[in-house]
Amino acid sequence: MIIYNPHNEMLLSKRLKEAEELLAQIPVKYCFITGSFLSKERYKDIDIFVVTRSQKEMVLRNKKVKITTIDFNDLYSIFYHSVSKNCIAKNILPTKQLKVTLSDYWHVINEAIPTLLNQKDKFHKDVRFLVLYTEYFKTGEILDTFQLNERIHFFKNYNEVMDYVKRELPGIINKYAKSSYVKRFFYTQAAYYKKLKEYAAQSFLYELTHDVARGIAHG
Amino acid sequence: MVNPNEFKKKIEASISQEYGVEFLGKNFDQIVNLLTEIKAEKIYQWVKNIVESKIEPISIGSKKTYKEWEVNELLTFRYPFSIGNTEYRILFVKVKNSVYIEFHLGDHKYYDNVRKDLDLKKSNY
Repeated sequence: MIIYNPHNEMLLSKRLKEAEELLAQIPVKYCFITGSFLSKERYKDIDIFVVTRSQKEMVLRNKKVKITTIDFNDLYSIFYHSVSKNCIAKNILPTKQLKVTLSDYWHVINEAIPTLLNQKDKFHKDVRFLVLYTEYFKTGEILDTFQLNERIHFFKNYNEVMDYVKRELPGIINKYAKSSYVKRFFYTQAAYYKKLKEYAAQSFLYELTHDVARGIAHG
Repeated sequence: MVNPNEFKKKIEASISQEYGVEFLGKNFDQIVNLLTEIKAEKIYQWVKNIVESKIEPISIGSKKTYKEWEVNELLTFRYPFSIGNTEYRILFVKVKNSVYIEFHLGDHKYYDNVRKDLDLKKSNY
């Protein structure tokens, strides 16, 4: 059993044994447990991740276990880098260099804003990627599952999440992208959002694309 | 337990259009069978809310082709729910200012594949 715990967070010692037993029931080399099961007395699910090419669905007898399969092709993703950062693994986990692009980030924002407005204050589950990407581009750090939960629970309501995106995005784009690319990409996107401004999410995204493009135009 | 044909009929009735919407998903009927009446009612209400423009769509300015449309011509409405410990997603696809074309229902893997086809998801994040 390998313990990945870069920030020396408190892991519940009684759960280590249990985690090891659960991982032993999974017939693959690379699997790991992360999330609240490792650190909280009360937990909802036991999040197990399995790195495999197999399409076969795995089920454990424990009803709280939620298994997510990660393909070997996904090892470069920010998702894998985040969930595997702080975990209990059966073996040393395979690694691949992180690959993220601003285009991926924009796709995340594009989906997150309508979802946020539909879910309103039940947003906690739906903003994970949004916060993960934003914090990565803002600070260069990939949050692990514990840090990500903490950051998300810092928001009191969905409006604070919207304000956070509005505040952070222009600076991030300014820092990473060439101005010619930004103008071309964001003005193109803005033209599409403009046609859908009767929807609050598209109206917000329209304003956001303009803020970004304007920020670049004014240095 | 909900009858898949009844389920489809109720959704078709809510959108009342001549164009036949396609019901898609790897295990569509089996998943509908697992729904409780309460969960199904919530889905019917969600569809009504879409028709009344009360739900925010996802749309991306992409020129990628999806069947006979460009992706930027489409609006996608997303509904997440779970049965037991398994999470499912509905993606309801509409052509802007026009008809509803597809009603997808499936697990997370199916959902991710449809999102990739619709250019809503770029990489394997």
